[in-house]
Formats: sequence, C-alpha cells, structure tokens
Amino acid sequence: MITQIRLKAYKWFGKRMPCGDIVEFNQRSTYIWPAASGYFLIFIILLMMVGATNYQNNLAFLLTFLIVGIGLATIIFTFKNLQGIQFALRGHGELFCEEFAEVEISLTSLTGTKHSAIGIGWSLEELVWTDVEPDEPSLVRLSFKAKRRGQVPLERILVTSYFPFGWLRTWSFFGFSSTVLVYPKPVEPPPVFESVGNQEEEQGHKKRGSEDFFGLKSYEIGEPLSRIDWKSFAREKGLYVREFAVFQGTQLCFDWDDYAGTDDELRLSYLTFLVIQAAQQQIGYSLKLPGEYIMFDEGEAHRNNCLKVLALYDTQSKEARERSLQ
Amino acid sequence: MKALYVSNTAYQNRSLPFYAIILAQQSVLIPLYFFIPVWITVLNITAALLVLWASGKNRFVINRWVKTLITLAAIAGVFWFFRKISGRDAGVALISAMYGLKIFEVNKKRDAYLLLNLGFFILVTGFLFTQKPLIALYQLIALLLILNALMQLNTLGSSSIKGLASTLKSLVKYLIFAIPIMVLLFVFFPRLAGPLWRMPGTSQAVSGVSDSMSPGDVSDLQLFEKVAFRAQFSGSEPSESLLYWRVLVLDEFDGITWTRAGSIPVQTGESSTHGGETFSYNITLEPTRLNYLVSLDRPVRAPVKSRLYRDFTVTTKYRIQDRTRYQLESKPDLSIEPTMSERRKAFFTQLPESGNERARSWAQELRLGVESDEVFVQRLLQQINQQPYYYTLTPPTLEEDIVDSFWFDFRRGFCEHYASALVFLARAAGIPARVVIGYQGGEKNPLSNYWIVRYANAHAWTEIWIEGEGWLRVDPTAAIARSRIEENLLNDYRQRETLFEDFPAVNLGDISWYQEFQYWLDDLDSNWNEWILDFNQGKQRQLFSGLGFQQIRDRDLIIIMILVSVGFVLFASLRQFHYKSEKSPLTKSFDDLEKLLVSLEVIEQNKSYGPAELIIRVKASTVAKKAELILLLREYIRMRYQIEANQKDVQKLVREFKRVTRFLKVNNVITRKKSPSSL
Repeated sequence: MITQIRLKAYKWFGKRMPCGDIVEFNQRSTYIWPAASGYFLIFIILLMMVGATNYQNNLAFLLTFLIVGIGLATIIFTFKNLQGIQFALRGHGELFCEEFAEVEISLTSLTGTKHSAIGIGWSLEELVWTDVEPDEPSLVRLSFKAKRRGQVPLERILVTSYFPFGWLRTWSFFGFSSTVLVYPKPVEPPPVFESVGNQEEEQGHKKRGSEDFFGLKSYEIGEPLSRIDWKSFAREKGLYVREFAVFQGTQLCFDWDDYAGTDDELRLSYLTFLVIQAAQQQIGYSLKLPGEYIMFDEGEAHRNNCLKVLALYDTQSKEARERSLQ
Repeated sequence: MKALYVSNTAYQNRSLPFYAIILAQQSVLIPLYFFIPVWITVLNITAALLVLWASGKNRFVINRWVKTLITLAAIAGVFWFFRKISGRDAGVALISAMYGLKIFEVNKKRDAYLLLNLGFFILVTGFLFTQKPLIALYQLIALLLILNALMQLNTLGSSSIKGLASTLKSLVKYLIFAIPIMVLLFVFFPRLAGPLWRMPGTSQAVSGVSDSMSPGDVSDLQLFEKVAFRAQFSGSEPSESLLYWRVLVLDEFDGITWTRAGSIPVQTGESSTHGGETFSYNITLEPTRLNYLVSLDRPVRAPVKSRLYRDFTVTTKYRIQDRTRYQLESKPDLSIEPTMSERRKAFFTQLPESGNERARSWAQELRLGVESDEVFVQRLLQQINQQPYYYTLTPPTLEEDIVDSFWFDFRRGFCEHYASALVFLARAAGIPARVVIGYQGGEKNPLSNYWIVRYANAHAWTEIWIEGEGWLRVDPTAAIARSRIEENLLNDYRQRETLFEDFPAVNLGDISWYQEFQYWLDDLDSNWNEWILDFNQGKQRQLFSGLGFQQIRDRDLIIIMILVSVGFVLFASLRQFHYKSEKSPLTKSFDDLEKLLVSLEVIEQNKSYGPAELIIRVKASTVAKKAELILLLREYIRMRYQIEANQKDVQKLVREFKRVTRFLKVNNVITRKKSPSSL
C-alpha cells in the first residue's frame, strides 16, 4: 500500500520534473513543506498568540506578528534559494557495473545571487551540500553505482535546501537526458586452460624468429616493391604484398570463446578484467567477441574502445528481451 | 571552478555554532535578568560560559547526572525563593532558569533548533515586566540574534563571529518583508475584550493617589518623578492656577486617617448647571489599580463607562489595570451644593469623639470672634501665612494628637498636614469641610500639546462649604510664605514651585538639549502608549467605523486579514521571482534566437531545448544561414558551459548572435511577403 503510494508520488513528481542536459527548475516543479523545526515554530507562535491575548499585551502581539511575517518571508526566500540554478552534467569517471564511481555536476547561479546550502544527491540520505556563488559555478561529485552495463540513464536527482532558518524544506527533482556508459563489472577469471602455457611457448618460439610470414594483402600504391608477392602475380591472381608480423612479445587475445560454458555477463566481466589488467601492465592485446574483433593494439584509446565494446555488447537485443518479458 | 562541497554526514555532524547560539540565548535572557533573583542570572551565565569553553576546546563532556542535579537544584531554588511555582514572577524565574540551563542539552542540531525557537517565546515574557519603546527595540535585536543563530546553523561555511555582520545584513530583507505583515496583522487581528484567564499574583503596588490619606502618603509620592497621567486639551486651556486635578474626596476622620465614606451617584442633568468656562480634554491615566479617574476640578459629567458621584469623584466599575484614556469636560467655576440639608451638614462636621482638644477649643473660640465662616477660613490662612509655618518633606514625628501637635507645636509639615488640620479646625467650628486628594499643576510638553502630570504633583487640599456659594476650594499649602519653604525642596522638586507662583512658561528656544531630549522621549512614550500599547478591541472598532465599516465582526476581520496578507505575499513573491531581467546578455540573446526559431517553425513552442538539441533541429531544417547558425550554437555551448570564457569573446559572440538573429528576422519578413504572391 505504502509502496504503491510512494510509486504514485514518484511518478507524479517525475511528470513535472525538468529533463535535459542542462537543467533549471521552474516553480511548477519545486516543492516546499515545513520541516520538524517549522512545526515547532508554529506551536510556539500559537503559544505566543495565546499569551498575548491573555495578557492583552500589544507588544507581545507585535512580536508574534513579526515572527509570522518573517515566517512568510522565509517561505519565499527558501523557495527562491533553489530557483535560478543551472545544473549541468560535466562528466564522470569510469563507471563499472555495481561499483561506485562519481558523476560530476556543475551548479551555476543564473540569478547573480548566492544560493546557500544546497543539497544535491540521489535521495535524502545520499546528499552532498554546496554553496553556489554568484560569479563562479561550483562542482559536486555524486557517488553512483550502476546496476547494469551499457548506456545507462542516470537516476533522477534530488535537490533540496533548508536555508535560511531550517523551518522549511524545499526540494525539486530533475533528470539528465543524456546517458552514461557503464562498463561490465570486472571479475577475475579462473586460471584458464593449460594449453595457454603451450601456446605461450609456441608464441615465444615465434618471437625468436625476427620476421615471419603472416599473410597476403592486396597491393596499394606506395608499398615497397620488395614485398610484392611475385608468385601470386605470376599465377595471375593479382598484385599482392606479403605481410610479415613482428612478434615482439606475447600477443594476447582475449577471446569470448575461452570461457565457453559460462554465463554471457560473466564472460564479459572476465574479459573486462583482463582488458583492464593488460592495460595496467601496458601490454598489447586483441579482443574477440561474437561478431566483433578488435585488432591487436595497446594504449589508452584501445583500452577504452575495448571496454566500450564490452559495455555495449548485445545491449539492444538484451533490452528488447527484457521489454518482452515485462 | 572549484569543487567545494561537504558530504551529508559531515554536514549533519559538523560542530554547532555555539557562539551564535549562546549569543542568541543570552540576549533573550538579559531583559529578564533585571527581574529574576540574581542567583539564577549567575547560574545561567556560568552555564553558558562553561558550554562555550567546552565547545571551543572540546575538552570535556559534562556528566548527565551533574546536569540533572543542577536542574533539580534550580527548580528547588525557585520554589524556596518564591514559596510557589505559579504566578508571574516565580513562573518567569523558573522559565529563565530552565531556559538558561537548556544550553547543557544542546548537542545536536535539533536541540539547537528547540532552544532557538523557544527563544521567541521567552522574548514575550520580557514584555510582562516592561513595555517601554526601548525594550521593544532591544527585543528586536534579540530576535535578529536568534535568526542569526538559526542561519549559522544552516550555512555550510564554518561560523565565526566575523560572519555576524554580514548575516545581520542579509536579515534586513526578511524584516522589510515582515514588517508590513506585522502592521497588517496588528490592525486586523481580532482582539478579545478581556483576558482568557487571570494569572494570579499580577497585582503590584503601583498607584498614585490611594483611597485614603494618612500623614506621609502623599509626600511619599512626591518623591516619584514617574508620570501619573497626561492631559490634552482640545480648544482653550485653563490658566495654570486652575490646574487642580481631582481624584477623590475624603470626608471621614478617625483621628489619624481620612477615608471616603461613600457617596451617591449624581443623576444626569443634576450637575451641569451654572455657567463659567468649559474645558474639554482627554486624560491618559497610567494604571493605578484603583477605581478612581482623574479629572480637572470640577468635572461636568462622567466619561463613558464611569460614574460621577455627588462629591465630584469619578469612578469606574473596575480598577484601572491598564493605561486608560478617556474624554472629559470640566467647569472650574461650577458651584457644588449651594444649599445643603441639615443631615449632610452634620455629616460634614463630624469629628472623632475625643482627641485634639486644643485645636477644637481654639477653632470654636476663633469662630465666635469673627462674623462669618468665610472670615474664619481667611483667618486660618492668615495664621499659616504670618505665623512660622514651614513646608517640609521631613516633618518631625507627630504626637498622638496629630492636629494639635502640628498646628501648635511643630508647625512643620506637608500638604496633608495642612489640609487635614484645616478641615479639622473648620469642622470643629461647625463649618462643613472635606479633604480633596489629587494632583496639582503639571508640566507642559512644549513639543506637543499635552500636559504631563507626575506622582510628584500629588497634592491634598480642602473644600469648605459656604452657605449660598457651595463648596469652595481652599488650598492651605498655598498660603505658606515662600521664605518658609525648604530650599532643597524647591530645588529638588521643581514641580512644587507651581504651587506658589505662576507657572514657569517654558519657551521652546530656552530649553536645554537635555530637556528637549526628555520631552522628545516623553512624546515618544505618549505616542507609543496611544498607538501601540493601548490598541484594543475598542480602538480597533473605532478605526474601522472611522473608515466607514460599521459593526465589523471578528469573522470579517479575519477574512480581510487573510486576504490582504495573502495578496501581499503573492505580490512580494512575484517581485522576488522576477529575475529574468538579470539574465546574462549571452543567455538573453540565446533566448531571442530560440524565440525566433519558434516563429520560423524550426522548433515547437513551450518546450525547453538545450543548445545541443537546437543544433540537431537546425541541421534538420531548411532555415537560412544554417551553417553559421550551427557554428554559433557550438560556440555558445563552449562559452556557456565548457570553458571559463573571456569577457571579450562573450561580447563578440553576443554581437554575432544579434547579427544572425536580425538577418533571420528580416529574411523571414521578406519570405512571408513573397509567399502569398507565389500562391
């Protein structure tokens, strides 16, 4: 029952919340309600009113009414504190599924005034607090843990403030329309096949030969004539160039099929782990997935490319499956 | 760009701004410190300092049992001191002790909220003791200090005493908003005619003239510079010699004390008979806790809700608990009781069976020697004037027969002695006589049009009945030779001078700045009383009937109050949220472009687009200058969100925006003109 109401409230708030890459609140999507201290103040005001009436004390009345006035002013200024802030998604660190990472959000004052003590986060329990100065945007980093890999939309973000007197709480929600790329959760694979050792030996052997014939490739203008495979040319097959691979070290290939029999997601996790580990050790590697092959390379760009492929692997069909299940 | 933020746990658990909290708490308590036992004050301040010290160094935590023990001891102390817990004084003492010790309990944010919000209520208790303008001003400061502490509690930056000034400055806008609301509610909020319940023990011995007279009663009062009442004449003012303010008539003597026997109310129309000049005026009477109203001798008829008695005393049904204002008319020359029944004559010549034998026989002898009652009175006054009778506030202790020892032996005393003696002697001679108590003279506030009469003006004089003339006022004190009035009395109590010579007319040019300041203060005080403290149900009704709303009901008042307040809040908030004009020129030119694109039907109306989305839309459209537009938007994104833009570049971009927008607008007009012809 309560969860149903919560869900309805969530949807209702969601309908009014602004979305986009760069978000400002409007008054329609901002809410305000007394905090515990506000209820206590109301009680105190009533008490003062009774006292003033009983003693027919006009100064007590004046004081009470002044506080009522300040209370009303506080409604406006508390509410206003949240208006005129622009939120923008600045970027994020590497996000791995089910691991904490941070997304960075900038808060810019559009009103030319200071916005004090703004809480921002996924929920009331997970907030960070910041001031937004009039002349300089402030940055906050929100800790984020994705539940699945791929292009994941961020959860809606709660922005709240009790400023200035803590009597009232104002809050609003917004969502970023852009998604974040979440890599699969890295999981250390079990020590693989004994053949790996042999393979390595074999590969090591290869390494000792300085140049080995690798294959043929059609000739392109500008390539050295010495490499042309004249034999094929003589057989009237066309102009080919002999390619030689240079094995300077162990050439790693992280292969989907190495982990046959395991769950797809787990396989992706293994591969992710291996890619990260290899990149850390600054070793080159290639990646092989069903329908995808990423050539041997090394470096930051290669690593990110591999991780992206792993993150996005089969996501569309997977989403479709999930949708059909629901 | 900096990333300065704090996590939620850090924010919730940060150390409380103790200096601000204690500043607020103590400023709330300070006015009460004047009215509660000193030991509570000492206890409270010690507690506050202890907490402040402990919070700064984080040295120790005060044991919970110690706190409980101190609190219990304080409660016991209040009980022991007052012998009760109820009543205003004991209640306030208890509240201030509890509120002072509450600081021990402040560990978390919510404790601080409790303490500070409770402070508003404590401010009200301060008004139970005094309601001067100065205290109101002070309480405003205390209120701001509470708000300051609340604000410090809700800001992120570490709080320090340096932040006080800037916080107070930022509170001004709250006051600007709150003060109109306060005035509005003050005028409209329905008042009850009486209190909800009477608190016990509120009565206090503050009265001017009391309802009986023993030697020393009036002279004690003469030491007070406190204001008894203020009088304001509409129309002509009486000469200073006529400024005898009548309060009550005493007609029974027991040998020591004169008391009022009681009188019957005058029927309407009975009194306002003979001519003479009429003065109309109003009087603002300070609370006396007596039933008597002050009037200028002699009142023609009673003000509303009061009665005029046959002895020309005006009384109210209830004691005067609050400062009261009323309208009156007086005729100083009015004659009272030109004829008198034998029964009344006998009553007004009554004396105790025995005592003061010398005075009795002396008066009877004197009366036999003169031809009329008037001459007899004349002789008495001559006696006072020519014999060595002195006016002093420090008379010798009188013997058992006080009239005898005063009139024959010591010949020193103050107005009560003289009045008492004169009435005694007249009665002994068979002439009806009575004592009148009231005030004499007053001080005119030259800055505004009213008279200030103080307790120091308290006076006692006599009325002697003469056949055919009625009651005549005889002031024996006025007969004392000026040389025999104690010098320091003249110096110390300048009010007394008005008894013996013409009123010193104070010229506005002559008064010293100090005097002027005092008059100004009194003027302020008077306006304060009239407009703030005395605003009650009656005045409220009067105000609205003056505006043409007869018979306004409480319900109507509430409706008007709510409507006007809501209207004000809406108006003020609309003004507050009108910040669109504050947008930067860059954002504005972007908005203009967006509007234009809506009119060109590139994008839909009433939908907010980011610049990135606009680029996509523009790409898909057939708008002129497409490439330029896209470049412009890209540049806009770069400037607005990505880099810390150079001001010159921003200006350049704004110019560029304007140029393209203008071009598109013109282009749009031309194509529109073309399109109908092409159809």
